[in-house]
Amino acid sequence: MICQSELDRFYHGLITDVHARGGMCAITSGMACVQYRVAQSTKDCDLLCLKRDARSLLEVLQASSFGDSKCSYRGNLTAPLDERWLAGGWTSHFRWRHAEGEARLDVFGIAPRGTIPWERETNGLYAHRHTVAEMKRTKRSKDWPFATALGVQMLAEGDARGWLHIFDAEVLFDMAEKRECPDAIRQRRPMLQLAFNHDPRLRTALVVEIHFWHELDRIRMRIYEQAIRPYRASVTREHLRAECDLTVQHQARVRCAEQNLPINPLAAYGFENMLTEALDSVRDLGEKWLRLLPDVRENFEELLNDP
Amino acid sequence: MIPEIPELAPLTPEALAQIREIEYNFHVRAFGEEMARVNFMPQEVRMRYLYEIIDHAVAKGVNFDRPSTGVK
Repeated sequence: MICQSELDRFYHGLITDVHARGGMCAITSGMACVQYRVAQSTKDCDLLCLKRDARSLLEVLQASSFGDSKCSYRGNLTAPLDERWLAGGWTSHFRWRHAEGEARLDVFGIAPRGTIPWERETNGLYAHRHTVAEMKRTKRSKDWPFATALGVQMLAEGDARGWLHIFDAEVLFDMAEKRECPDAIRQRRPMLQLAFNHDPRLRTALVVEIHFWHELDRIRMRIYEQAIRPYRASVTREHLRAECDLTVQHQARVRCAEQNLPINPLAAYGFENMLTEALDSVRDLGEKWLRLLPDVRENFEELLNDP
Repeated sequence: MIPEIPELAPLTPEALAQIREIEYNFHVRAFGEEMARVNFMPQEVRMRYLYEIIDHAVAKGVNFDRPSTGVK
């Protein structure tokens, strides 16, 4: 049986190796939540890697082994680990198949919904709480309590951005009694005013806001899932076996991607189109809630403005 | 444009304790009493405990790929 501590040491070793080569990467999502004391376990390692360091990371993965197993790409729904596709919001997935278990790594170049380039703030091997909390605004309901817990920690530490991550009405009402909120933050999240006004409509406003983020994530995922279909078919036709050397797998995937995988499907779809769809779904819940929603442009700026 | 990071005033020990209480109560509501207790352990003790229970669960055949749905 593979021990959890052994697995964590293995992931940490990969990141340390990339850092030793002068590359930049940081653990995010579930493992970061465990580190930040808001979660207990996670089944894989999500990693943010600077786009320009994709090559370094690939070399580290090529050289790596977990027990006697080598690294391979995982599934046909994974983009090649290449600067071009990482910059377009794609992710690359890897595995090490050990006789007694599996190590899994998912690599992001851009933190989904990140308002700042994640590399500007890291915490050792881990992404900053702010980045992790923004990434947790997914379509999965189970992710949201982690964002709230991280937001409270940030406020306790004096980081006002914690106000952006709390999605629990009781916590917001309580925190409004204890902590000030700068105007710049209130402007970014208008519904916070309800917490400071002790307005019970805060509960509904939170439901609406979460629904809005769910929709944005659902639409984003749909766009990427549709865009990957021709690529997935071409990778399947390559009949790449997991036992193939990672270099061989990578070269084949790059070949397939150059022909069949659009670099940035979200940019091609159009941010405004995605936003309109998400707002329409909120409109169904009542027009009055629209003015309380945050301006999410900043959450997609890095992805849409990548040169 | 990257938004500035506004800083908040330092907390008095009493105010910090009140925020920790809000935080703890949220963990109890969101994750349950046992996990709240674990999340507030000193980090080294906490990680040792987590490794122990995860390894025990895996040894007993718990599949972490499946979502936990609680006791039915």
